[in-house]
Amino acid sequence: MKPQTDAALKVSNLHKSYNSNVVLQGVTLDVVPGEVLAILGPNGAGKTTLISAILGLVKTDSGEIRLLGQRQDSMARSMAIRQKLGVMMQVGSLSANLTVFEQCDLFSSYFHNGYSPTELVGLAGLEGHVKQRFSRLSGGQKQRLLFALALAGKPQLVFLDEPTLGMDVEARRSLWQQVGRLKQQGVAVVLTTHYLEEAEQLADRVLVLDQGVIVASGSPAELKALTQYKVISCHSALDNAALLALPGVQELSRDNKRITLHSSQPEQTVKALLLADESLHQLEVRSVALEQAFLQLTQGSKTTEEQAA
Amino acid sequence: MSTAAIYRKEAWYDLISVWRTPGFVIPSLAFPLMFYLFFGVVFNTGAASTYMLVTYACFGIMGPAMFNFAMNIASDRAHGWLTLKRLSPMPVPAYLLAKFSTALVFSLVIIVALFTVAALFADVRLHSAQWFLLAMVLLLGTLPFALIGLILGLTLSDKAAPGVVNLLYLPMAFLSGLWLPIHLLPTVLQQASWIWPSYHLSQLGLKVIDMDQGHALWLHLLVLVVSSVLLAALAVWSFKRLTGQKA
Repeated sequence: MKPQTDAALKVSNLHKSYNSNVVLQGVTLDVVPGEVLAILGPNGAGKTTLISAILGLVKTDSGEIRLLGQRQDSMARSMAIRQKLGVMMQVGSLSANLTVFEQCDLFSSYFHNGYSPTELVGLAGLEGHVKQRFSRLSGGQKQRLLFALALAGKPQLVFLDEPTLGMDVEARRSLWQQVGRLKQQGVAVVLTTHYLEEAEQLADRVLVLDQGVIVASGSPAELKALTQYKVISCHSALDNAALLALPGVQELSRDNKRITLHSSQPEQTVKALLLADESLHQLEVRSVALEQAFLQLTQGSKTTEEQAA
Repeated sequence: MSTAAIYRKEAWYDLISVWRTPGFVIPSLAFPLMFYLFFGVVFNTGAASTYMLVTYACFGIMGPAMFNFAMNIASDRAHGWLTLKRLSPMPVPAYLLAKFSTALVFSLVIIVALFTVAALFADVRLHSAQWFLLAMVLLLGTLPFALIGLILGLTLSDKAAPGVVNLLYLPMAFLSGLWLPIHLLPTVLQQASWIWPSYHLSQLGLKVIDMDQGHALWLHLLVLVVSSVLLAALAVWSFKRLTGQKA
């Protein structure tokens, strides 16, 4: 399906534990140029550790990492890789006392073929704040500047750790557009996110990471299909007990006349529902949002673990 | 962009970033000046003023060197700025040299300010060669303290760094005879003062004006060079430990 030879990032069987606490167990992934990979997972799933390990900020116990065809262990020494890498970490703050333009000027000086300081200001969309110090920017503006700096060297491989944290809707959409442009330019992008809508919007592939294990991977659509759950809603005269007794119904909520059911066997549920209530109207069946699919996946893995324990 | 340009920009932006922190600049410059004006000009005259010019200048250059490194590196680490820089193609020496050049600028400003006060208000008279030599000793003497600051900045959290630097800075200054002349300290403390780089630096400075304790020049130089080399090795080790290049 994808050519494996020119992967921008290739991670094989990565293991990492702190003392007895296992953070990553056997993580394998790859990203090709022009592909956006989203890593989803609850807090403490190991997302940031995974990114840090890939970037060599955290030492791993075993496994192999190749960035742009080169082994990662040589990265500390390899300026060539760092020229082609863009990074936006979750904890990222610049010198509080330097202005937007000064930060861009400094950062762009590190790269041979990068953007000019003025272009970076434009990428951040901070033309009106050129002389503002970093400490005086809003949370969203800081994120935009950090994002622009990640692109300073016109990178081939970009890591974005929770890039839209603290951004308002407009800033988030503009960042999504920029990620879309990176993809068109053939840049490989790895991003972690809490916003599942973000993964749905941006990613070609989604990895769900839970307790250091990839529990699911696929396109956002495939991931959704992984859970057969559907949401059924309608106006019904049936009472709660009768509704919960229907085949496949897992959850029930009621808003005035309108009821909402979560079903693991939607066809069976609908069939029984129609038989039981002739007055039923305004029937609607839809798939669960990625957010819920993802919650069910991670909850599922927790339940099995608890059973195992 | 050429490598030289990176070094230049890094140094320039480090300097203006520090310069825009009045909470750092004002005490750094005011303390040595204030102390010298008080003890060296108002309460003393003649030889004592000359002696104290050297010791308070030593005191003055130590502070910014240690604080600038320790606090700014600890804070760059805490806020992820150092991580971003390390993942970028920025050469690490550019970052360290920038911090060192900022410390040198502070040293130079303090030296000029103290020399001016000494010449104008305390009537301190030295040959131009002595002024020059003294300034050189003090500028070069910034290095070991910058290294101490670097090690602290690489190992301490941003919250702990200022406190620990003060805990080291103030006793070290006192025990090296920078506040009270060293010969007024108890003999035990005078002997113990040999462990402090600041003692040897002040003795080198005092040698320029012929007011030192009379130990051999090479001894002070040797201690300063050896301690700088050891501190540099420790700094490299701390850096490698921090960046996980050593398990």
